[in-house]
Amino acid sequence: MGYPHKPHAKETVVLSKHFGEGDARTYKGWVKRGGYEMLAQALTMEPARVIDVVKESGLRGRGGAGFPTGLKWSFMPKEKKKPHYLCVNADESEPGTFKDREIMRWTPHALLEGAAIAAHAIQAEVAYIYIRGEFTEPWAVMERALAEATAAGVFGAIKLYLHRGAGAYICGEETALMNSIEGKRGNPRIKPPFPAAAGVFGLPTTINNVETLAAVPLILKKGAAWYKSLSLASPKSTGTKLFSVCGHVQQPGNYEVTMGFPLKDLLYDLCGGIRPGRTLKACIPGGSSVPILNREETESCLLDYEGVVEKGSMLGSGGVIVFDDSTDMVYQIMRLARFYAHESCAQCTQCREGTAWTTKILERILAGQGKTADLDLLLDLADNMTGKTICVLSDSCAAPVVSGIKKFKKEFEDYIAGRRKPVMVA
Amino acid sequence: MADELVTLTIDGVPVSVPKGTLVIEAAKQAGVLVPHYCYHPGLPVAGVCRMCLVDIEKAPKLQIACATQVADGMVVRTQSPQAKSGRMGVLELLLINHPLDCPICDQAGECELQDFTFQEGRPATRYSPDYAKRFNPVEDFGPDVLYVPNRCILCTRCVRFMEDVAKEPVLNVSERGDRAFIGIHSDGRLDHPWAGNVVDLCPVGSLLSKDFLHKARAWELDKAASICTGCSQGCNVTLDTRENIVVRVRPRPNLEVNRYFICDHGRMNYRWMNRGDRIEAPLVRRGRELHATDWDEAFALVASRLRGAGGTAVALVSPKASTEALYFARELFRGLQWSGAFQVVMGEEAPLAGVPNLALRAERAPNGRGAELLGYGRDYAAAVTAAETASVVLVLDEPDIAVRTAGALIYVGTVLPEGARDAQAVLPIANVAEEDGTFVNRDGRVQRYFQAKAAPGMARPAWWVFSELVATLNDGGAGHINTAAEAFDRLAASVEAFRGLSYPRLGFAGASV
Amino acid sequence: MSVSTHPTPQPGTEEYQPVFVGKTLEQLSEILTRYPTKQAALLPALWLVQEARGWISDRNMAEVGEVLGLTPAYVKGVVTFYTMYHQHPVGRHFVQVCTTSPCNICGAEAVVKAFLDATGAKELGATSPDGKWTVIEVECLGACGFATPVLVNDDFIESVTPDTVPDLVKRYK
Repeated sequence: MGYPHKPHAKETVVLSKHFGEGDARTYKGWVKRGGYEMLAQALTMEPARVIDVVKESGLRGRGGAGFPTGLKWSFMPKEKKKPHYLCVNADESEPGTFKDREIMRWTPHALLEGAAIAAHAIQAEVAYIYIRGEFTEPWAVMERALAEATAAGVFGAIKLYLHRGAGAYICGEETALMNSIEGKRGNPRIKPPFPAAAGVFGLPTTINNVETLAAVPLILKKGAAWYKSLSLASPKSTGTKLFSVCGHVQQPGNYEVTMGFPLKDLLYDLCGGIRPGRTLKACIPGGSSVPILNREETESCLLDYEGVVEKGSMLGSGGVIVFDDSTDMVYQIMRLARFYAHESCAQCTQCREGTAWTTKILERILAGQGKTADLDLLLDLADNMTGKTICVLSDSCAAPVVSGIKKFKKEFEDYIAGRRKPVMVA
Repeated sequence: MADELVTLTIDGVPVSVPKGTLVIEAAKQAGVLVPHYCYHPGLPVAGVCRMCLVDIEKAPKLQIACATQVADGMVVRTQSPQAKSGRMGVLELLLINHPLDCPICDQAGECELQDFTFQEGRPATRYSPDYAKRFNPVEDFGPDVLYVPNRCILCTRCVRFMEDVAKEPVLNVSERGDRAFIGIHSDGRLDHPWAGNVVDLCPVGSLLSKDFLHKARAWELDKAASICTGCSQGCNVTLDTRENIVVRVRPRPNLEVNRYFICDHGRMNYRWMNRGDRIEAPLVRRGRELHATDWDEAFALVASRLRGAGGTAVALVSPKASTEALYFARELFRGLQWSGAFQVVMGEEAPLAGVPNLALRAERAPNGRGAELLGYGRDYAAAVTAAETASVVLVLDEPDIAVRTAGALIYVGTVLPEGARDAQAVLPIANVAEEDGTFVNRDGRVQRYFQAKAAPGMARPAWWVFSELVATLNDGGAGHINTAAEAFDRLAASVEAFRGLSYPRLGFAGASV
Repeated sequence: MSVSTHPTPQPGTEEYQPVFVGKTLEQLSEILTRYPTKQAALLPALWLVQEARGWISDRNMAEVGEVLGLTPAYVKGVVTFYTMYHQHPVGRHFVQVCTTSPCNICGAEAVVKAFLDATGAKELGATSPDGKWTVIEVECLGACGFATPVLVNDDFIESVTPDTVPDLVKRYK
């Protein structure tokens, strides 16, 4: 499948430079494009030195948390007493996000090289690349690329293995991912202990996102200063980000822009704006687990970690979901709550029961049987589901509910008051 | 090297505990019970129920007390508005799918969901009748365990017990989200020798004992501390009685012996305590028949037989008899050439893999070690042979005796077996549930058991019967012993192994010889 | 001299055919070298079973348990957690249609209906009368910009619309 667009003039093409080039997926093709030179160089560097470069660059985790990558690597024991592990989080399941998929199916070697450099930096001999089960095409591409690169001997003593997931969003949570690799139910773990102290198999582990690792070879090649210079607004957010834009835009897809890029330009310029005859109603900027932005907030939002927080949401995974004025916000919030209820691992009471109850209340409101007290009940439930559980899945369910009721209250009230025709939910 | 101590404040009460202690345990020392479900000191920490949410100063969010270690200067508030609200939220969510089964649920009266809901739950539901509760049919998990999915709060204590303590993961959590339930595989029934503990561990009425199903209400039960008589491990138990009948046996915590668990063999080993076919009066031989009489006549007759006897005396005793009884049974024969023996039924050993030194022991009796310490031997066959020519044979509560003797046979027991019909006297005694006493387990631990119900008819504790006989023999010279504690004191004074021990010293946890 | 023979099995009591023999066993053996514990090979082992048999039965779970030193109940707990493992047989072509919000607002539910009509499966999760098709709704497939994405067995197809469904269905025998 051809990559859907030629880079827009306003994109900063770094990670996506070779998207769409079939040849780039082969080992030889990647080497022709300068691949694996930085791995060879990194393997001659002291691990601590590699960590310093990445720290200096300001690279932050692109999976959703935005934690400084170099700092995370530095949590690993400096003195190696036990086996160390790297886990690559390719479980991309956050609704609205589809960037890691592109990296894997177009530039698999970028990921492999970045992972190997990271493994060297944290003194890991083994790296597991956890790919969600549904990513059949990325799996096939990665399998071929890994076999070719391994045969060429570029990884030295580092062993990289692919590990296939089997249908669980929660396995994108770093401790659940580790449990899943260990052959267990994908239940998140209580922290402490943290992965760098006791991770997969109880041994020091670092988990990094695909997009994060894909940037590492380039940072080594062009230098930390270069990466740091890619920053349009907050100096704490550096580099480029692949934003996955989907929903009611003319040209959905992945767009790579510099941190601090205006969200308004991304939607109206790069994506060709909203569908004809429609206007922007709402936007979720960072995958469905972050608060919804209304039109005004969307159009004044800068896309970096700090900028989105200023608007009351989070950059998260950078999965930008665009809703135009034809959207039934109550229905979509119900559908999101249903997503979280389906994916809850069942450990924590608030998540297990709360996500399901939230969904039921929203379904009832849609069916025309809502009560005025339901909105307060939803907010009360959301409060119970926030900050009290092992992981943030229940918080993620609460986010669209709270922001939805706050900013689109009238839509809820219309259903409750009977002003809107009920929708029977399957 | 002493444990480093940490000082913190819980609900205003300062406590000092070893470094590494969990806040939920430290709270106990402050006299504070933090509400909880999934936490159990005998199981690995899970932190899933979220019930033990507490407010810790300087922490941005509520923390679970079961997974937070103490720190110097930590200030914990369990009753802050946020903590109470957080816990009320958990209770509400646990109850939305929980059926209103209390009137028909075995757990009522000893249910932690009831207890904490009363204490800090919401007074009314916001869920019913708008939404249907989740429904799944009851499942039969194994020989004794029923699973009622509707009542399950997914605390996973049962799963963790089977996985980490029994080391046989036959219970799982199946499915995800609010569809989750505790499951088994068709290949694996819950028939592990220690599986019954999941019923005790279950905080609600989800895992139930078929044996106890609908038998009694928790508030009707009287409880007495006792020691299991199923084998020589000496697990500490609680006997639950209702109107003088033992209806249930449950483990009593003892970190040195059985931690928090008992095996199924011991758990089911109580019906014999309620037998109705008991000897209820002393019986003495007049001519060819045994006649019921009172204790005075019985003692007088037996004493006269003993006074007249020279030569050898043989005692064949049950290893279920109390240490006190065994001591005085031997005292009875002071002055005669005495030999005593016991035999023990053997069975298959069944360890609880996750706990060191804990198993259903091959030796199926509680006081073999006690008998040994008091000079009784294990060569039962030799003793039976010696009994044939002995002048006095005492059989203590061995209903399967097949001993022939030319001398006088005295049978002291709970039921009247065929083989005792030739006895000169049959004296009725109390069983383990009907008296105070001690057993010595295989590791040399002397442990007290307490009376749970009244003995039938005129039956009395065996130590009393023997000590009264001794007094009668000495024409009352040595004085009468009125309590089991005194009986034990006598024993401790004269048997080296027990020197220094006493009932107050033994308490509820026991002590080593 | 007596000769022992295998009795003819009654129908329904055929001897269980193990999955982990021959090539599949070789594959598992290689996978086991990647991890320090046998348990870590559980998800890969379950995939091997599903690839070989189309679904994972209770008996398969017991076999996996034997091979990896896990109880059947433990294996079952894992199988029931992950939604991609089938615990009962499904149609020859298994269709997963994403209907989470980003695809939902781009018409995913209509795509589901189109599949149910075109395949004759009629109901979600049910297998069509000819045994060829099972259609289910799934959560986000990670291709939101290419709404509506659909997995047919291992084929990941992007940008499916109700109009393109009938031809798509015809491509599968």
